[in-house]
Amino acid sequence: MQSQMKESDPILEVENLFASTNNLPILKGVSLTVYPGEIHAIMGRNGCGKSTLSKIIAGHPSYNITNGDIKYSGENINSLEPEERSQSGIFLGFQYPIEIPGVSNLEFLRVSTNARRKFLNKEELDTFDFEELVKEKLELVKMDQAFLSRSVNQGFSGGEKKRNEILQMALLEPKIAILDETDSGLDIDALRIVASGIKKISNTQTGIILITHYQRLLDEIEPNYVHVMADGQIIKTGGSDLALELEKKGYEWTDHFVKET
Amino acid sequence: MEIIEKIKTNKLLEYQTEIQKICLHKLQSNPLPNPKSELWRLSNKTKFSNFLDYSFNEKDLKFDSPYPNNSQSTIRLIIGENCQIEFVEENYSIEQLSEDEVDKYIKEQISSFDQNENWSDLLNLSLSCKKNILGLKVNGSKIPPIEIFSHASSNSLNAKTLVIFLEKNCDVELIQVNLGKENSSLSQSTFFFLEENSSLNHGVVSYGENGSNLLNSLNVIQQKNSEYNLGSLHFKFNYARFEINIKQSQGNAKTNIKGMQITKKDEQISTYTKIDFNGPNGFLDQINKSLADDKSHAIFEGSIIVPKIAQKTDASQLSRNLLLSDLAQIDTKPQLEIIADDVKCKHGATISQLNEEELFYMRTRGVTLAEASKLQLSSYFQEIISFIPVSKDKWDLLDKLLNEN
Ligand SMILES: Nc1ncnc2c1ncn2[C@@H]1O[C@H](COP(=O)(O)OP(=O)(O)O)[C@@H](O)[C@H]1O
Ligand SMILES: [Mg+2]
Repeated sequence: MQSQMKESDPILEVENLFASTNNLPILKGVSLTVYPGEIHAIMGRNGCGKSTLSKIIAGHPSYNITNGDIKYSGENINSLEPEERSQSGIFLGFQYPIEIPGVSNLEFLRVSTNARRKFLNKEELDTFDFEELVKEKLELVKMDQAFLSRSVNQGFSGGEKKRNEILQMALLEPKIAILDETDSGLDIDALRIVASGIKKISNTQTGIILITHYQRLLDEIEPNYVHVMADGQIIKTGGSDLALELEKKGYEWTDHFVKET
Repeated sequence: MEIIEKIKTNKLLEYQTEIQKICLHKLQSNPLPNPKSELWRLSNKTKFSNFLDYSFNEKDLKFDSPYPNNSQSTIRLIIGENCQIEFVEENYSIEQLSEDEVDKYIKEQISSFDQNENWSDLLNLSLSCKKNILGLKVNGSKIPPIEIFSHASSNSLNAKTLVIFLEKNCDVELIQVNLGKENSSLSQSTFFFLEENSSLNHGVVSYGENGSNLLNSLNVIQQKNSEYNLGSLHFKFNYARFEINIKQSQGNAKTNIKGMQITKKDEQISTYTKIDFNGPNGFLDQINKSLADDKSHAIFEGSIIVPKIAQKTDASQLSRNLLLSDLAQIDTKPQLEIIADDVKCKHGATISQLNEEELFYMRTRGVTLAEASKLQLSSYFQEIISFIPVSKDKWDLLDKLLNEN
């Protein structure tokens, strides 16, 4: 599969990435390439480094890249600020979305949408126009308008927080979206909503990375590739059947795998 | 400390009112507060002495208020400038207290003054001449919002005093603005007496310029069933102390306080509060926030006194602090002194920094670090600012002042 000829250039290339925080190595040589139109799933035990990988791609300042490169649309982005990455189309859906008391969700969404639009040379939206746009997108995640007047994620239930992430993704129209366990803790209805949100933004030009533990999301959105991570490395890559096998056999089954080179 | 020398040798004032005589006399034997006492030990000695270095000025220059023109619906008073005040309308009246009334009330207060706790008032009342003491009694309902300005003049020390009686059942919104001028010291003492069933929404906004100093003392006595709400903001002072002394004289009253101080550069701003429950069923909800940047120092010390007589007191005091730089310093100490047994009291203090994870989250949504920090700070301010009774246009001005460097 990996050898298949690609027609276009990759959106994201992670090349032999090593990263640490407070001198504690967490990523130990991760490589991953995403082409337009592809959906990748990353699975692996808790603590293997999935969230760390996603945060480093988004530019979290607490992690140091000690070796390797992250390239986005062919450009090295190792030293880009998180806001520059977001504006240029990298989206991270958080495993644990952050509550920001006192900051209105509507205003936050508007500022963030306009930052992206500015980058795309699109007209920035005033409060009125933005409300029109956001109403339309709210529909997509079946969220009530009342969420807009609350503080960002404050007092949202787990499912509401995740839907708010999808709402943000829909507004930002990223080129690559990394969704870190967006499906965890969702009931079936919420899962469907999230899945349909992901499908909406997914097209032949975008790339998607789904970090998940569950087959049920992958039943809704079939990935082109499934990667298994362990101890800061991707130790196995396969097609969507790999996820099914993993579901049957558990992570123990992957314990004896060594890194495929 | 020219002023202290003059007080000691009694060379400060030629003509002295009775109150000035009493206060000067109290200061002469013991002119400075005890630097080791809890209320003064953290006070920056050099800055405090700088406060007292300006020569005393009874007169003051006209000042330009940075606030927009007075709107029709508010009553604006400037301490030291308004001589004859009398608003008598159908629903309400605002009248000047007679000299005798002011004297009688202040003398009563002085009789229980403590050298350390009330040092700022003693100094204030030693210096404040008749012209700079504004005394009012307020009565009635549907009273328009009142604004009271107090200001210093450059290169001098000014003293202003405000005394207000709220008569029974009256309901007032009052904003007090203390303006520091470049290289100046302002001593402001305020005395409120809230009669039964009265209610006061009080805002205090104090801000200075380069080298402004402020000693701001606020004394409130609440009779039963009164409600006192205070929202305060102090910023841009080389040195400022805000001392709040509230007494629920018979309990059965409500006090809500939301205060905030912002320090930058090498400024020191401190807030000291003492809430005294002198009867049962008292209520207090207090939060104080400090924000310290650069090499500045913010201090909050609050004490709550609940004697045996104050059963069923319900008091809460929180101190929230945000350090924006490694060199800034925050000292905080909420303190309870409880003797009554059937009470509900809680207190707490936190010192934190800007939340890195919140900042990262906002940045992953394209919001720049500077914008994200500003959003976080304004949400930190919001709770306090929204409690200060100011109109929208003035709030915009405050917003602008707060965002200046
Ligand atoms: N900021 C951090 N400080 C210390 N350890 C961290 C930090 N971030 C992640 N780790 C550690 O790195 C490992 C990988 O964490 P994480 O990426 O969250 O795993 P996953 O998302 O796969 O469950 C864990 O052992 C975790 O404790
Ligand atoms: Mg994780």
